[in-house]
Amino acid sequence: MAELQQAVAMVFAWDVLAVIVGASLFGLFIGAIPGLTATMATALLVPVTFFMEPLPAISAIVAATAMAIVAGDIPGALLRIPGTPASAAYTDEAYLMGRQGKIGQALGVNLACSVVGGIIGVGILAFFAPLVADFAIQFTSDEYFWLALLGLSCAVLVSGADALKGAISMVLGLLIAMVGMDSVSGQIRFIFGIPELMSGISILPVLIGLFAVAELLRRLPEIGRTSLPPAPHVAKPFNGVGRLMWQYKGGVARSGLLGTLIGALPGAGADIASWISYALSRKLSRTPEKFGTGHPEGLVAASSANNAALSGAYVPALVFGIPGDTITAIIIGVLMMKGVTPGPDVFTTDATLVNAIFLAFLIANLLLLPLGFLAVRGARHILSVPASVLYPLILLFCIVGAYATNNSMLDIWLMLGLGLIAYFMVENDFPIGPMILAVILGPVVESNFMRSMIKSNGELLVLFDRPIAAVLGSLAILVWLAIIGSSLWSARRARSSTVST
Amino acid sequence: MRVNDLLLGLLMALLGVVTVWASRDFPTLPRQAFGAGTFPTLIGALLVVLGLLLAVRGWQQRGAWFTWHGQVALSRVWLCLLAVVAAVAGYVWLTPVLGFPIVSIVMLTLLIGWLSAGRWWLATGVAAAATLLVWLAFAQLLHVPLALGILEEVIY
Repeated sequence: MAELQQAVAMVFAWDVLAVIVGASLFGLFIGAIPGLTATMATALLVPVTFFMEPLPAISAIVAATAMAIVAGDIPGALLRIPGTPASAAYTDEAYLMGRQGKIGQALGVNLACSVVGGIIGVGILAFFAPLVADFAIQFTSDEYFWLALLGLSCAVLVSGADALKGAISMVLGLLIAMVGMDSVSGQIRFIFGIPELMSGISILPVLIGLFAVAELLRRLPEIGRTSLPPAPHVAKPFNGVGRLMWQYKGGVARSGLLGTLIGALPGAGADIASWISYALSRKLSRTPEKFGTGHPEGLVAASSANNAALSGAYVPALVFGIPGDTITAIIIGVLMMKGVTPGPDVFTTDATLVNAIFLAFLIANLLLLPLGFLAVRGARHILSVPASVLYPLILLFCIVGAYATNNSMLDIWLMLGLGLIAYFMVENDFPIGPMILAVILGPVVESNFMRSMIKSNGELLVLFDRPIAAVLGSLAILVWLAIIGSSLWSARRARSSTVST
Repeated sequence: MRVNDLLLGLLMALLGVVTVWASRDFPTLPRQAFGAGTFPTLIGALLVVLGLLLAVRGWQQRGAWFTWHGQVALSRVWLCLLAVVAAVAGYVWLTPVLGFPIVSIVMLTLLIGWLSAGRWWLATGVAAAATLLVWLAFAQLLHVPLALGILEEVIY
């Protein structure tokens, strides 16, 4: 109880609250602009959080991402262009509701369901994370090795249609993680004669390069070529929302639960949660034929799910230090920079911090309502900011942000180089998610493997000795078999399509 | 720009070979078969296998070496890439000499002016305001040592 009181005192400090509101406004702006994602908002925010205490730093990221996902619904409903990929599943539905004169209702449903979904997710996170942590406290390096490997493998499996390219992206991320001093033996690796690389490639330029610079490079050529249509005016955003949510209350609850679960799976984030919930709600609906015509049922389900998934992703991130999606990969990087290593121990050694993080989640989700309302009202102004002004400013922010952690020009070069690589990778259908997860998980996989080998005198089979490790190991192997199967299947399909053309 | 998977696969396989080769001399832990070279070698080998698989797949598809399907002309894309590289390189090389305020204002003015098709007054105004804000936030509030360059003599 004393911990909870301390946590309340920590969160309700004026600076933490100010950071939450500020970060929410930042997330709102980035999320509402088509093409700028919640992950980009996080990557741009990290340089600033670097100078904060752990709690405001995490709160800022939590608030910005939750708000960005909600704000992403706005251009989707108004212009049929999803602001973030997490809104893509129901963009058509919301837009078509708008065409029927129910634009206010569509956005109101988005907003209210996001809040409810987010709160369901926080509730599950706050309840289950400590329980899982209690269980995980007995884990040794064997289990952590398999868990991290499983996280990497799942990230490859769910990364997209092409598992082979996902796997290559993961391996490239592992290579980035190998640069610098090996944590077990102290051996210096792949530093190409640059002493600054001895401590490894700093996570910040990697994040900014992969998620902000690459995105910028993709969007920049479109400036002046494609113009956004003017956004319509939104009247009475909350009219009839309560009635609709009550009508589909089962869908809201189901999608909140499902979203949290999907978010907790390594590699699957808010966008996958929203697609699956939408599909499931259509399958279970009494009127599936109305889906895709401006029917609110799918909208209710998917907007609850994507915000719930954000919280769900924090379960493996906080309990095991295994990121559930790209955003939590960044969070783990931030926590490590602050000297907090996520894992089951955090729940005993830093219980107050963990409780404070849960509270910050709750506040960020509750704030979605008033700020989201403002965003809906001000959407026309946000969408009218010219990209020709915005993108150069983002570039300057990227440069200064990459420089800020180590005050090193090398980090700016690394950011640019990785941004260019990520740009070409995405152009060629390589997903970036597995790469960033590998940068975070690479050292976890390697150091735990080495620890197990030192304990067992190099006996590989010891990795299967403990029952949980054996289960996790078998799961990891199964996932790899699925990846190989999926790669072979896609190769076969490609061959047959070549033959038929 | 899409590059044929055969080329990309071979490039990845080559990177894998270089990684394995560069990891050959890392010492193992005392009385162990494993060491600092184990993971890089494994990763390199995996990259070779995956790269070759991709190359075989690309070879079977027999597509063009390079294709461009974007809505925007390829020359425009190259120009934008070049502009970003030039902006970043200019920043890294010129900031220590000219200082952050000058480089930032010039960089933003040029980029915004070019992208907004010649709205130079807007570009200059936004560049000056943004530079001031970034300077206040990062240099003054967060104490990031953004270089002043030649301005140091003017100010102090």
